[in-house]
Amino acid sequence: MELNESLKSLWAEFQRQEQSAVSKKLKIRKANKASIVMNITLVSLALLTIYGFFTFDYKGVNILEAVIATITNLKPMFLEPRFNHFGLGKGLYQVVVTLGLTFLTTLIGGTIALFLGLLAAQNLSSKNVSNLIKGFVAFVRAVPTVLWVLIFAVAAGLGSVAAVIGMTFHTVGYLIKAYSESFEELDEGVIEALKASGANWWQIVFQAVIPSSVTYLLSWTFMRFEINYMNAVAMGAAAGAGGIGYELFMASGYYFDLREVGLITYFILAIAIMLEYISIKLKIKVL
Amino acid sequence: MNLLEIKNLTKQYGAETLALSDVNFSVKEGEFISVIGPSGAGKSTLLRCINRMIDATSGEVIFDGVNVYDLDKKELRKLRTKIGMIFQHYNLVNRLTVIENVLHGRLGYKSTLAGILGRYSEEEKRQAFEIIEILGLSHQVYKRCDQLSGGQKQRVGIARALIQNPKMLLCDEPIASLDPNVSKVIMDHLKNISTKLGITCLVNLHQVDVAMNYSDRIIGINNGKVVYNGPPNLTPEQIYMIYGSEAGELIMDLGGKNAS
Repeated sequence: MELNESLKSLWAEFQRQEQSAVSKKLKIRKANKASIVMNITLVSLALLTIYGFFTFDYKGVNILEAVIATITNLKPMFLEPRFNHFGLGKGLYQVVVTLGLTFLTTLIGGTIALFLGLLAAQNLSSKNVSNLIKGFVAFVRAVPTVLWVLIFAVAAGLGSVAAVIGMTFHTVGYLIKAYSESFEELDEGVIEALKASGANWWQIVFQAVIPSSVTYLLSWTFMRFEINYMNAVAMGAAAGAGGIGYELFMASGYYFDLREVGLITYFILAIAIMLEYISIKLKIKVL
Repeated sequence: MNLLEIKNLTKQYGAETLALSDVNFSVKEGEFISVIGPSGAGKSTLLRCINRMIDATSGEVIFDGVNVYDLDKKELRKLRTKIGMIFQHYNLVNRLTVIENVLHGRLGYKSTLAGILGRYSEEEKRQAFEIIEILGLSHQVYKRCDQLSGGQKQRVGIARALIQNPKMLLCDEPIASLDPNVSKVIMDHLKNISTKLGITCLVNLHQVDVAMNYSDRIIGINNGKVVYNGPPNLTPEQIYMIYGSEAGELIMDLGGKNAS
């Protein structure tokens, strides 16, 4: 009874308010400080962009001419690709070298990251250790892969060794964050249950934590594998690590051979699509 | 003989919150005891203080003649194998099969390496299959746990606790997420375990009627204190006392015991 009456009065109140506020629009989102700051930022960025276009120093380049020239360059590159300085056999071999670099760095990096990731996960480790590792890893990730390769090139010399060490370093940084966050997703209760039955830390990790997060681990590792593939191509060009990236560098920077550049690009693309296909197949199998 | 004795157990969170204050009671071997009380009264904390999943602030827990709080890490691990635990949310590894989850109960007895690799002896496997059969899960042995219903999951949880060969089971609201039919199946299993296998059961419950039907004794907890410790045939007054007078009318179905 009481409930009914209070509902009735509430309804009446609601209708009165509605009548008085016909002209006022209803808002479903409340303006707060964050949204105001966000809007101001977006508007000022848009204004700066427009201002930028008017004040660029074009150095007398005719935009229309430039666009046409680029398109005429793209035509031999992508429509008439051709081998000039090496054959299919060597091309395939160089792709395998690049893939080897990718595989090696992902494997070494993944293994190291698996163990450090366990120590970095807050539910499996102490808060101090976790914060220490996470802080260090954030620093490692902040420096780009190329820079790590160049840093290690000081000791190892420019080449494949520096590339492997540098890329592994960055991979470890990336995967520790990804892995530890996957581990932290795990239901606290499962750990509690195994602990209560007398299991120790290593047993809990291998019997509960890793089986539960294996799909996350797998997809992060594949993600990193793809990134490392792109890095390996770039390292071949930038750090002399060999592989298809080096051929790309030679074709573009040394021979100015647009047709070969196009062919190598297709090569790299084909391998990337293949990798993606394999990773999807594998994921379905494990799920 | 007293299997479990709890003396002056106190647990303090932070400076203010007293989750348990000066809890005393003892449990005989083979007894089936329900712990009831309002949410937040400290029931879960009490259970976890017994096997030291939570460390109490002060007091003693004497299990099977040993003070739990005197044990070092290794001895504690050994003690925990003697105490099975069952949870409201089952806490199974969902991506593994039923048999793998059940065998997890043996981890406490195994060396680190054997546990990591999941190598179990033939005897352990035979026992696991036997327990699964008793709990009526034989058709689900190789199913992954995320394919099971709530009641089946809880039975896997019970199997995992039983294969530890425990002296006592701690059950933290085992039927709180289950429907009444399944709840009855689970409670019957627990009661059977207690009477037939002689395993002591300490069960946290929210359902007063279930507690009165199944227990040998009821312990009522309110605000961290034991306010009732006695036979399971509670009178409405005693129930009000346990749940606090401010609760007003309670939803209760005392199963015809106090009808008329």
